[in-house]
Amino acid sequence: MSDPALLSLAQAAQAVRAGRLSPDELTHASRARIECWQPRLNAFVALASEDRAPGPGALSGVPLAHKDMFYRAGRVSSCGSKILRDSVASETSTALARLDQAGAQDIGRLNMSEFAYGPTGHNEHWGDCCNPWNADYITGGSSSGAGAAVAARLVFGALGSDTGGSVRLPAAACGVSGLKTTWGRVSRHGAMPLSASLDTIGPLARTAEDCALMLGAIAGHDARDPLCAREPVPDYAALLGERASLKIALSSAWIERDADPEVAAATLAAAAVLRASGATLVEVPPPDVDALSTQCMVVMQSEASAQHARWMRERPGDYSSAVRARLEAGYAIPATVYLEALRARAAWLERFCATTLAGADLYLLPGLAIRVPTRAQTGPQGGAGMPRLLAEVTRLTRWVNYLGVPALVVPCGFDSSGLPISVQFVGRPFAEARLLAAGHAFQRETDWHQRVPV
Amino acid sequence: MTTARQWSGEAIEAALAAQGIALAPGRGERLARGLQALLDASASDRLRDALPFDAEPPGFLLAIQRCKAR
Repeated sequence: MSDPALLSLAQAAQAVRAGRLSPDELTHASRARIECWQPRLNAFVALASEDRAPGPGALSGVPLAHKDMFYRAGRVSSCGSKILRDSVASETSTALARLDQAGAQDIGRLNMSEFAYGPTGHNEHWGDCCNPWNADYITGGSSSGAGAAVAARLVFGALGSDTGGSVRLPAAACGVSGLKTTWGRVSRHGAMPLSASLDTIGPLARTAEDCALMLGAIAGHDARDPLCAREPVPDYAALLGERASLKIALSSAWIERDADPEVAAATLAAAAVLRASGATLVEVPPPDVDALSTQCMVVMQSEASAQHARWMRERPGDYSSAVRARLEAGYAIPATVYLEALRARAAWLERFCATTLAGADLYLLPGLAIRVPTRAQTGPQGGAGMPRLLAEVTRLTRWVNYLGVPALVVPCGFDSSGLPISVQFVGRPFAEARLLAAGHAFQRETDWHQRVPV
Repeated sequence: MTTARQWSGEAIEAALAAQGIALAPGRGERLARGLQALLDASASDRLRDALPFDAEPPGFLLAIQRCKAR
């Protein structure tokens, strides 16, 4: 067999079950690639010193690693910060415990934006994480190490968190599949909080099928997260084949007008692939992403600043200047404006489902409206255009978090600089199975997800 | 309308100081511009202004149930 690290998670898990590969062989293959790639990417902040004996389960023996904000009892979780650099967790997050139960290996902690509050992957405390397709470009954030590690085939999958795009942006910029789950679908117990009304946990992996396997392991009610839904958990992997009746809404003229031309062309080509594989396309007016993003910003800034109030009073100098500035902004938002944003949320969700989705299963748009920018353009020396560029980075992801609905990003091409382009599917609450089926249908017809950076 | 007031750098500094948050020098003015833009954008949300009197934040949980995939 060629390098086992190049298999998908589903293939690797199947190979272990069939006895064609041992867990040790998989872990050895992952560690060999980490040794080669880590100096270029800075995707890991720590590697596990030893591997546990894998238990039985759907992911038995498969090496994973996770954003460094999922607590494991007795282990440090830095959350990408200086403040928590040596913070040892007293309990294990529900998501990690469920992956353990499924037999997965946890081989290390992945780099991330400081306190998950940045969309690019810059980190002045732990070093920037670099895009495997070209280290001068951003990985996207805040789950930067997860995007880079999965794209470079260092691990078969990774957990990220998504409050304004933090799973989908790294997936889009690094060319992997990333699922933002419905708010409440996955327990947030033992995961670093940023904004309780918006925080979600989801997988980044090589394929939609891999995301389905990881979601199947982590989804479901958890009494230790008071916001975790009681919704039944379907067999996501078994439902991947349900594609014949997919109805897809999109706004072609808006995509052509608002997105970079290369991004627009790849996105509309992805829609055409799905139509050719049996889906029905229906043109609809675009949602008001700017109004929704504004309300998301109001909620996120208010809640994040409240979450960090004690440290912002006692040790503001221990934050990077960028994160400190983002947190400062939240303290001046009037409580009435914050609560009005929350009051309007139900009406916005109902409008999206009734008007944009209407009878469709999902709404299709780019994951990132612009081509992946460089680290220099979006970093501390980015200059006068930097704030506007950062707003563009999150423009097509943040609105989804305000609505609380699920969204899947999958790669659908490469731009003329060789950086990935992605398409995003947004669905109704708890429609993860439909989104994954659409992603799987697309990946059966294309090979963008099989491209590997060298 | 909530944002009739135009925020100034001094007002921002005072609002944060009242919460024990010390601003880096020169930040107040920049924060005021950003905050004003955010509040103006929020205030222009016509759906928000059309909400019925009894709309409450927890209504979102019920909306998720009404809107979920069948």
